[in-house]
Amino acid sequence: MERISPHQFMTLGAAVLMGGTFLLLAAGVTVASGRDGWMTVLPGFAVGIPYGLMVLSLLEQYPRKNLLRISEILLGKWVGKIIGFIYILIAGYYGGLVLAVLGEIFERSIMPLTPRWLFYLGGLVLVLYLVGSGIEVFARFSEILFPVIIIALMLNVVLTIPRIEQGELMPILSEGIKPLFYGVLKVMPFAMAYILFLAGILPFLPTSKQEIGQMKAGVWRAVFWVGIVDMLVVIVQILVFGPGETIRLANGILVLGKLVEVSRTVAGIESIFMGIWLGAMVIKICAYFFMTSWGLETVFNLKGFKWNVIVGVVFLGIAFGLPRGAYLLKELSIAESYLLCPFASVWIPILWGVSRWKKGAGV
Amino acid sequence: MNNRGKGLKIGFVLILIAGLLLIDGCWGKREVEELAPLIGVGIDLGQRPDTFLITEQYALPKKSGSSASDVEGWTYSFEVSNAREMNEKASKVLNRLPFMGSLKVIVIGEEAAKAGFKDVLDFAQRFSEFRRSMYLVLAKGKAQSILNLKLRKGELPAMFIKSNIETGNKISTFPKVRLGHYLTVLGRKSTAPILPVIESIKPGDEGIEYKAVGEEDEAQEAWIQGAGVFRGDHLVDFLTDEESKGYMWLENEVIHRLINTVGTGESKVIFGGQVLKSTTRFKVKGKDGTIGIQYQIKASIAVDQVMGLKEQLSETEWLDLMNEAEKSFAKVIQKECELSIKKERELGLDFLEIGRHIEQRNPAYWKTVKDQWEGKIADFPIALDVQVTIHHSGMSSSSATTNND
Repeated sequence: MERISPHQFMTLGAAVLMGGTFLLLAAGVTVASGRDGWMTVLPGFAVGIPYGLMVLSLLEQYPRKNLLRISEILLGKWVGKIIGFIYILIAGYYGGLVLAVLGEIFERSIMPLTPRWLFYLGGLVLVLYLVGSGIEVFARFSEILFPVIIIALMLNVVLTIPRIEQGELMPILSEGIKPLFYGVLKVMPFAMAYILFLAGILPFLPTSKQEIGQMKAGVWRAVFWVGIVDMLVVIVQILVFGPGETIRLANGILVLGKLVEVSRTVAGIESIFMGIWLGAMVIKICAYFFMTSWGLETVFNLKGFKWNVIVGVVFLGIAFGLPRGAYLLKELSIAESYLLCPFASVWIPILWGVSRWKKGAGV
Repeated sequence: MNNRGKGLKIGFVLILIAGLLLIDGCWGKREVEELAPLIGVGIDLGQRPDTFLITEQYALPKKSGSSASDVEGWTYSFEVSNAREMNEKASKVLNRLPFMGSLKVIVIGEEAAKAGFKDVLDFAQRFSEFRRSMYLVLAKGKAQSILNLKLRKGELPAMFIKSNIETGNKISTFPKVRLGHYLTVLGRKSTAPILPVIESIKPGDEGIEYKAVGEEDEAQEAWIQGAGVFRGDHLVDFLTDEESKGYMWLENEVIHRLINTVGTGESKVIFGGQVLKSTTRFKVKGKDGTIGIQYQIKASIAVDQVMGLKEQLSETEWLDLMNEAEKSFAKVIQKECELSIKKERELGLDFLEIGRHIEQRNPAYWKTVKDQWEGKIADFPIALDVQVTIHHSGMSSSSATTNND
């Protein structure tokens, strides 16, 4: 079986955690926490750290098994199968949703006349290629692309500093700390999406004690890297647009890209940024494609190229079948907050708790 | 590698190549020659109810032009009910596709500004081709007249407005408002938006004399001076040149300024100078249970002109005179600020963003006054502290002509 290194684990995890979060995060946290919304980003992502450590501690106990298999061992075959089935449904549905969002964003922002199926098909072909090539190629793809995404985001942030409206972050905590709690709830689903990916990738991870230690540090690093970068993206959007406009703008980061002007020579470079954001979303879709495939293989023993194509068709079906515009973003938010987040936040601690209990009881 | 795997990879590569060719923009592809770059838009009220007279100014490279910057302007006005209808009509006339990404300036006509222009402006902030970095200006009179001016310099009015705004830092006499800033201010609720005013100037207006081209009464020059104060998207009143200058000081927007005193000191000497640096800070303070705002303006000025000197001055006397210059400049700045504050109180509209400053520094107090803020502006305590430093006094320390007087 393929293996990825602890470094690849970190960058792949960070890239999956990042995904397209920077496209939607600012509006969500600002709705929930007002101009203090930026403060909720890092704590929201940090929720993923204990979950990540729980998943890796299960890896130590059950090497080369994913959490679906471990669920069958710890909770019984049928309970494990039901959990696996839910995992497949969530991964497949969310992957299709992200694919739909990819088309929506391109159509809305820079290519309004290009048919949406072309974005779906273009993204999906790349995903199928990565899935067909295996997890190691996907990890290397992320290793190359993730730094480019970070550099592009930082460039976007730095180059829009001249457009900052003074004092938009002030006053700090004028509404107290209660609204911050709601902001954290908005960010948590992104961390849980990452945790569900970790749940599936375990069989491809090294199992020596030293490497597991490195991967635990990798979880911390991935969360802090992504948390800090996303926090900066939210800060700059609140500073440039003010909280009212940050909430109103459908994709603030895209508008920010249009504001980049260096002297009178560099302008209109938002299409370059969009190309990079496409890569970020492909990583997320690919991760969820992998998760669906792993689920099918573990629960139903269905694997191979044929099943990858079927999963691809399902993703396309979901992307085409979903409503468009604001309804699509609402659907994405509902799936994150009411499907993905509750499932991961309950499943992992229960599994970890049962494994600890069984270990303690010597069962 | 087995044959099946090889075939799959070749298949993927072929699909990727096909994807690259298809995604290249065939559906939305627009050749540059087919585009008409829009550079200026004017918004006026139409004759018919619920219509706008929209003027669009396009810049196209001259076919016989010697350089890429040699452009000719096409300006059209249509009475339409919305911006997309305007696009449709312009496309028919132009035989090209209007390109919105190049828009630099939106000019709001006075009547449209009084009636409210939010709905017609919605297109500019919603359609993805536009950039929020475009400038907004208010026209004295009709926006259409401004965009149809035949400027003596041969420039297109929209380009003139853009370059005038961008070089405005050198004199800092009017606010620079981009669409993005206007929308951010609208989102604040407590702050009244403000836009700079453009007006055409005829020979004899405001002391300007020049030889007009064409008809005798045809305006051939325009300038940006003063500002309009809005409640939301409705124009309420204009600020004079001095009131606008006061706004610039209080909003910390003075980069450089050319400034003159009026000879009020003991020696009645008049000073002319250039502001090299200026910083405005504010404090929201409570005294005897009353909250107020205190501005502190610090300006560094180079004295470029001294008029009315009666005799050669010694070194000590020159230093005394420069002290007097500091006080005289401070008085001028103070007066401009006071005029601006007076206008704010009269209008009951917070274009100076005092409410926002209070919200930033004392949010607990702001929560108690924000709902009655417009009523509170009239007597809200505002204090000014203006400090001027003479950075240098040019190449001379006296007057060259005093010995002959």
